Amino acid sequence: MKHLLKKGWRPTLVIILLLILWEIAGHLFDIPAWLLPVPTQVWQEVIHGWTHYSGHILSTIRLTLTGYAIGVIVGLAVAIVLFRLPVLQEALYPLLILSQNIPIIVLAPLLVIWFGFGMLPKVIIIVLVCFFPITIAALDGLRQTDRDLLHYMKMTGATNRQIFWKLQWPYALPSLFSGLKIAATYSVMGAVISEWLGANKGIGVYMTLASSSFKTDRVFVAILLIMILSLTFFAVIAWIEKWLFRWQRQGGNSSNG
Amino acid sequence: MGKLQLQQISKSHGNHHVLKDVSFHVDEGEFVTIVGPSGSGKSTLFQLIGGLYPPDHGEIILDGNTLNNSRGHISYMPQNPSLFPWRTILQNVLLSSEIAGQKDTAIALELIDKAGLGGYEQAYPHQLSGGMKQRVAFIRSLNSPQSIICLDEPFSALDEFTRFEMQEWLLAIWEQYRKSIVFITHNIEEALYLSDRILILSDKPASICKEISVPFPRPRTEDMLLSEPFMQLKREIHDELRGR
Repeated sequence: MKHLLKKGWRPTLVIILLLILWEIAGHLFDIPAWLLPVPTQVWQEVIHGWTHYSGHILSTIRLTLTGYAIGVIVGLAVAIVLFRLPVLQEALYPLLILSQNIPIIVLAPLLVIWFGFGMLPKVIIIVLVCFFPITIAALDGLRQTDRDLLHYMKMTGATNRQIFWKLQWPYALPSLFSGLKIAATYSVMGAVISEWLGANKGIGVYMTLASSSFKTDRVFVAILLIMILSLTFFAVIAWIEKWLFRWQRQGGNSSNG
Repeated sequence: MGKLQLQQISKSHGNHHVLKDVSFHVDEGEFVTIVGPSGSGKSTLFQLIGGLYPPDHGEIILDGNTLNNSRGHISYMPQNPSLFPWRTILQNVLLSSEIAGQKDTAIALELIDKAGLGGYEQAYPHQLSGGMKQRVAFIRSLNSPQSIICLDEPFSALDEFTRFEMQEWLLAIWEQYRKSIVFITHNIEEALYLSDRILILSDKPASICKEISVPFPRPRTEDMLLSEPFMQLKREIHDELRGR
């Protein structure tokens, strides 16, 4: 906690300063609220509009978690298969990268045409944005296995399965976690975008409704909610990572004496 | 158990002739050291014994079974400790037996204790000094069911004092367990101090150009290092390696 306070005060101060500047500028230039509400107005909406958006949050969280979970499974499966079968990796790697070049905004309506307005097209979108960073990170981690350790495993007669689960997999974990963290923030974005397409609930819906009726303060509430969700999700993954790698923090001398 | 035989082993990497007609044997419970100039194919020899790839000619036989290109029959200690950083010392020592499918925590704990590492069972490798890491690596290779251990220049990265300490320690532990050992080094003194027999490899393509039986009785002492016969043997091996 102390650590957080020590490191966190600078960015917090900057954010507060920016908000104050925004507030002053809003009043000074007399900007109408439908164009750009000042922070205090947005805050009013956050407090009084709870009943308007609380249902939407839950729906978005559920969608995000579902998409993320499936994205992680798909991402890991693809990484492991490509790693174990180098021929497939050569053949499919360009395709993987191409899959990320299709603009989601274009793809999303198509998915709705194919799969309707249910959960499925939305989950597909989240999976599409999530699996890529996970696959790439996991593949990189698996490829970078320490050569000496690998040599040791081979000399000792470890089977390929043992080499994978005892060496390559744990060795890839730190790299994999960077992918998981990136994917966590992407998944919230993916969920909101997929809700724009047509859903009856979700922050995306709340946002479109707000902007089409010029309730700009609510748009900002939506932005705030997305930020909080992304940050929380990221923090949870980072915390799991820290817990898993707690052995690194055990003190002691690392000298070669 | 633990009788290793190499018969006329040859191996080339592409056009590069590495080993030519290498034949030797290691008896049960014997400590055999291979010395040779660096880059003379010592590591290739180990990789062949370890079964990473087959020899071009010849046979590798352990206790009557041909080992060519078959893994898992030897236990191994590499040049650097190669401990797994996310495993505790105990888990690291258990690794070799896990791979062989015969995990026994009690034996591992006893080995750790005998190695003078009691109290470090739950520590992680980054908390240990270089010499301690090598001890862990050695008892890891002891803690597996294979009857023969291959040590690949295990002390070459240690400083002089730690190295001598480790040699003494290695002998003390080995004399309790008496597994067959094949030891690779380029340090002549180390070879003489530790082994029963020394095989000298010639330069490329490597073959065994001389075999020396070390006459000193066990347990070996530090005084031995300064005795006249020791010096003489040392000179003899040195000359042999220099090609005189």
